[in-house]
Amino acid sequence: MDKPHTELDKLLHSLHERAKELNCLYQIEEILRDYESDIEDIIFGIIKAVPAGWQYPEVCRCRITYEKRQFYPPEFSETEWTIASDIRVLDSVLGKIEIFYIKEMPETEFGMFLPEEIHLLETIADRLGSYIQHQSLSRIRQDLERAKDKKQIQQRAEWEFVVDLLERTDQEFYFKIARKLLNMLCRSGISEANTLIKRLGSDFSSEIRAGVLGENQPQSKDPNVDLVLLSREILKLASEHMRSSEILGHVQDWMQEERASFLIKAISNPASSLAEIISAVRRFVHMSPEKIDLPDFVRKGIRVSLLHRTISDDLNYIRHAKEYIDLYEFHKLLSKLIYPSNSRGRLGGKSAGLFLASAILKDHSDEKPVLKGIKTPKTWYVTSDAQLNFMHYNNLDEIPDQKYKDIAQIRQEYPHIIQLFKNSNFPPEMVQGIAMALDDFGDKPLVVRSSSLLEDRSGSAFSGKYKSLFVANQGTKAQRMNALMDAIAEVYSSTFGPDPIEYRAERGLLDFYEEMSIMIQEVVGSRVGKYFLPSYAGVAFSNNEFRWSPRINREDGLLRIVPGLGTRAVDRLSDDYPVLLAPGQPGLHVNVTADEIMRYSPQKIDVINLEENRFETLDVVDFLKECGDDLPAVEKMISLVRLDHLQKPPLMGVDFNADPFVITFRPLIEETNFVERIYSVLETLQTAMETPVDIEFASDGKDFYLLQCRPQNALPGDRPAPIPVDLPDSAYLFTADRYVSNGSVPEITHVVYIEPEAYGELESLKDLHDVGRAVGELNKLLPKRQFILMGPGRWGSRGDIKLGVNVTYSEINNTAVLIEIARRTGKYLPDLSFGTHFFQDLVEASIRYLPLYPDEPGIKFNESFLLNSDNILTELLPHYKHLEKAIRVIDVPANTHGKVLKVFMNADLDQAVGVLSQPSGQPIVKPELHKPLFHHEEEKQSPDHWQWRLAMAERIARNINPDEFGVEAMWVFGSTKNGTAGPSSDIDLLLRFRGNDEQKKSLLQWMKGWSLCLDELNYLRTGYRSSGLLDVHLLTDDDIANQTSFAIKIGAITDSARELPMGPE
Amino acid sequence: MATKAFNAFEMAQTQFDHTADQLSLDQATRDLLRFPLREYTISIPVRMDNGSFHVFRGFRVQHNDARGPGKGGIRFHPMETLDTVRALSMWMTWKCGVVDIPLGGSKGGVICDPHNLSMREQEQICRGWIRQIAGEVGPLQDVPAPDVMTNAQHMLWMLDEYETITRKKYPGMITGKPVGMGGSLGRTEATGFGVIFTVREALREMNIKPANTTASVQGFGNVAQYAIRLYNQLGGKVVAVAYWDQKDQIARTVRKSEGVNLDELLGITDRFGGIEKDKATGLGYEILDGEAWIEQEVDILIPAAMENQITAENVGRISKKVKLIAEGANGPTTPEADKVIAERGIFVLPDLLANAGGVTCSYFEQVQCNMNYFWEKDEVLGKLDVKMTSAYLGVSELARKRKLYMRDAAYVISVSRVAQACHDRGWV
Repeated sequence: MDKPHTELDKLLHSLHERAKELNCLYQIEEILRDYESDIEDIIFGIIKAVPAGWQYPEVCRCRITYEKRQFYPPEFSETEWTIASDIRVLDSVLGKIEIFYIKEMPETEFGMFLPEEIHLLETIADRLGSYIQHQSLSRIRQDLERAKDKKQIQQRAEWEFVVDLLERTDQEFYFKIARKLLNMLCRSGISEANTLIKRLGSDFSSEIRAGVLGENQPQSKDPNVDLVLLSREILKLASEHMRSSEILGHVQDWMQEERASFLIKAISNPASSLAEIISAVRRFVHMSPEKIDLPDFVRKGIRVSLLHRTISDDLNYIRHAKEYIDLYEFHKLLSKLIYPSNSRGRLGGKSAGLFLASAILKDHSDEKPVLKGIKTPKTWYVTSDAQLNFMHYNNLDEIPDQKYKDIAQIRQEYPHIIQLFKNSNFPPEMVQGIAMALDDFGDKPLVVRSSSLLEDRSGSAFSGKYKSLFVANQGTKAQRMNALMDAIAEVYSSTFGPDPIEYRAERGLLDFYEEMSIMIQEVVGSRVGKYFLPSYAGVAFSNNEFRWSPRINREDGLLRIVPGLGTRAVDRLSDDYPVLLAPGQPGLHVNVTADEIMRYSPQKIDVINLEENRFETLDVVDFLKECGDDLPAVEKMISLVRLDHLQKPPLMGVDFNADPFVITFRPLIEETNFVERIYSVLETLQTAMETPVDIEFASDGKDFYLLQCRPQNALPGDRPAPIPVDLPDSAYLFTADRYVSNGSVPEITHVVYIEPEAYGELESLKDLHDVGRAVGELNKLLPKRQFILMGPGRWGSRGDIKLGVNVTYSEINNTAVLIEIARRTGKYLPDLSFGTHFFQDLVEASIRYLPLYPDEPGIKFNESFLLNSDNILTELLPHYKHLEKAIRVIDVPANTHGKVLKVFMNADLDQAVGVLSQPSGQPIVKPELHKPLFHHEEEKQSPDHWQWRLAMAERIARNINPDEFGVEAMWVFGSTKNGTAGPSSDIDLLLRFRGNDEQKKSLLQWMKGWSLCLDELNYLRTGYRSSGLLDVHLLTDDDIANQTSFAIKIGAITDSARELPMGPE
Repeated sequence: MATKAFNAFEMAQTQFDHTADQLSLDQATRDLLRFPLREYTISIPVRMDNGSFHVFRGFRVQHNDARGPGKGGIRFHPMETLDTVRALSMWMTWKCGVVDIPLGGSKGGVICDPHNLSMREQEQICRGWIRQIAGEVGPLQDVPAPDVMTNAQHMLWMLDEYETITRKKYPGMITGKPVGMGGSLGRTEATGFGVIFTVREALREMNIKPANTTASVQGFGNVAQYAIRLYNQLGGKVVAVAYWDQKDQIARTVRKSEGVNLDELLGITDRFGGIEKDKATGLGYEILDGEAWIEQEVDILIPAAMENQITAENVGRISKKVKLIAEGANGPTTPEADKVIAERGIFVLPDLLANAGGVTCSYFEQVQCNMNYFWEKDEVLGKLDVKMTSAYLGVSELARKRKLYMRDAAYVISVSRVAQACHDRGWV
């Protein structure tokens, strides 16, 4: 045969090989269909048919060994170029089938025989085995038929025939049945059974003793003789105490069970490798292509063992999964597994979730037709121990201990570890597995996702901590192989990244032996121009934690949907917006006016560029202008923009270059079953898994694909916070019990309170507007995310300014919490806005929103604290003195002897509290283990952030040469001085400057050097990077005299700056 | 504290009283015009999506229809009050009066938050509103239009319900409809062009050639863009444009002393009037802070963004060169700043007049609907020019004759026209 040359030749060649294999199988099926033939004829038929299925038929020979006899064709000789497969019936090996090449043939990367050929041979062996079994069973059946003919059936029960036959054909199984019957009789409390079991027990034990102790012990009697007699006695006893239909039922069950016994042995043996388990599953499925009706407990037992061995050892997971995942699903999954030899690895959390979810949806699709047709993308899995194997192979064994190093060192070394991994080689069996997967995928783009074992542990949401990488998968096979292996290596290396390690350290999970399994998944989508992308994708949550209307219930769920790859929906982006929807209330939109809808619509799109082989973010308008006509289902994704409203795309299609359009997904939402389907998926999964879930999905414009499913585990800052109880009334600033979302903000130092009554009494429109401007200035002046805004009615209302403070998002974007207060006037309780005017901005920036109803029964609202604490508005903003009745700025620590305000919000309980308490170090609620209490930033916040900053500030002051730079005095203020600095805080310095321009220039230069150095140090400590850590403010004498700019901080009553001693000590 | 809370209606009445004093109006006319002629408060029961019922409160206030059928929008607002609607209906009376179109002033609304309503529920509110008030509105009585949180879609639902009840086609019953469904061409351009028509006339009176002038514009939305286009066509040069940068959440000004190129800027502008900063720099524009537009050395300032932009704090930064301020936005000048501008003798085209192009075009929509014959865009804009020009001339002549500030003159001419109509009808 000619060697294949071009890619096309290769393709034709492999198609030809596939066709040959199939032909061969068909022929063998033909042969085996003939039940009348003698077994020898069948065997010779197979020997003749088999070579045609191999790559080199002319030199291929087949030999079959059956019941110690060998069958082979003429011109046969044994050679070293061979493969073989056992012929098994039930659990015993009855022979084998072997293939030989009688001369040496060229080798491929897989050796002389192709993987498909090995698989083909196993299939043939299985088919022959089940044929033989079928033949012997039909002989038994024939005997039974004959017995019936003799009319003896009238005297004897049906089960006795079966048992009699067994006694003659399969004595071992006959004893087993007797023993099982006896056990059953004992359990029912039949006393004779107990006597029998004692005899049986001693006989069996003597048998064993004989085996173990050998010749030194005399054998009392031939156990077989006794066993036959005993068995007969047992059967007799059974017939006296049990109905014959009952016995027959049990016997039938046990016979079925027996067929699965080899499988049970393989999976329940802890020593068996993944390869052995896979082979047992495969054999079982081949043997019984129609589903075997195993007894329920056996079926569950098998499922549980398989789940435990291959997927996950999480008991909660197994409890649910065993109800849904059958052996045939396993068989499909296991055929797409890449694993090292002797692997005992598992698939990890992400794979487990998707596997279960798709089985659940399939199971429920009969009762809920909307669930029909939901697909999952083609996926191959790399088992968890392959990572270890890979490191072992490359002598990287010391890398796992990386996690015990100092975090700064880890961060410094991480880029090198990535390179180290990427430059390492994969062991040959993995290369082979990856090559097979790649053949299966073709050149469709792929995503390599991590699926770690730690992800199983619910409670530690590792989402986004490990990498997921897209691979364009274009080019020659060698190029594609390299790119894919490169991606896998990089995902492997992310286990040793500083962020996940730090995260684990904080959760006490550092010592957990982390192994990472990998999912290689086909990217859902289609080729559009030079790009590849799904038409749309997104995430959906069972619980809606961001309700924009009081009519939306938490159970209505939340959907974030974007055009293109779902990456933009998964992450919160500050500069772009996914379309939000509550699947349970699809009519209630976040954005209502055309202007709002356009402003908060997706502006960008993530795609895979097939020509450049990379992931790209494009402007969605430019993209659709370029190739919108080719994007499937695009007409379901957009609305046309008219002067003041949006319109459905016209029936004739959209001209993307002429018609102004916006991504709204309105047609998809309003005219298709998409929302119904999402809602049904969430509901079904939540009910089946008994926990709220979050899913990722994508669509190629035609089909709906489920990409991921896991228990809904909010982002760290979005978890329900434990609500402290039994505090004295004086500790509360407020409580709330309606429309509460999740989160906690533990370190609030300032409260800006717009006093509702005084605000309502402001007379001039200018004053009302000025309140908004003043808030905007406070927003820049107060410590970021450490102050809250509390005000009446609707923040940001663009209509009647009386209804709420008129602010834009930029004027509130540094607040930690935005609170709207609804005071009752008479019987009328005003509506709040729920932050609708900048709802999506709040969501993307993780700013909390909370509505307060102080006049409702059972609500605490410490108005006197808000009214009687010192108001520092005029100190901060003297030009707004006229508003001091309406705007109250409260320095919390200064009014409470150093306490701070902590806000805890818990959507599960629909409760929130703001409490005055000591700053962290003495948390009022003791955080329970594995029950995260704090905000993500707070998790990283340890007291040393501010201590380190203060020490650095002092060091700068010591090092400065006052005369050289013309500096008179130096102060530190803000979070460093207040002891509230977090990992990303800057250091605020005030310098009294009296020098000339030259000195000013060199001073700023000197400070900049410090700033950059400290930033680098801080990065190594915390992972936060900015463009400099120092925020230096120079004050002139005029500033100090006039108390302008930051000069008000010097000697201020509250939050004053602290002077730093300058020059060497 | 014996303070009175801010109330929009009281403020509108105070403004009217001031004008009435200037006109020396008799008491009866004052009493008539200080309050609306008719007010309707209605209940609109709606079956919600979940099957429950909710009753919404709606309003229609007809302030004065002595000069013709009422005209005014319908607002969907969660905290709508009758006083707000009253104030806005009065403002509509004056607005129609100043451009001398034969329409009166009305306003309506429903207390509701569309954020909490599905489209189906909003449709039921629109249809329910019409069912309650069909006898009191119509092309010959009172003509609604879109306003806060309502749009062309709401207008079509209302029109459809009205026509279903009357069993006749009355496209002139409501305005703000899409082109092809009874809408008028030229609506997009109307307000921006209207501003420049008045600017052109003002310059003509000042004996200045537009081609010899420069302008600075605040805002880069619909109104500003069309104003710049027409101003350029007249030969004028816009040297600075302030816009809102959505991404950075900050206002900025782009400047080019040889004049901005509108089409070039539009090429780097998003749909909300935000200009891409880096690209603008690349095209040779200077990027300045958001307030820089006000201190440019230009002849004309056009605030066309939002209210309260020229304030007591920044009015002092207006260049000595500025001769004319044309208020494209509603209420861009605070009363304190207005005093300073009046003292400095800068000529002001007040919002009531300068941005009346929008309401004039709505009037044209209604006219076209009533005769069921629709004009080409040129014809609409040509007629708009005629209306705006004569409106300007009326106000400026009065200002000259009576030595009034332009803002006062606009109110005086408008109130006097309405008062005259009431007298002629023998009402007072």
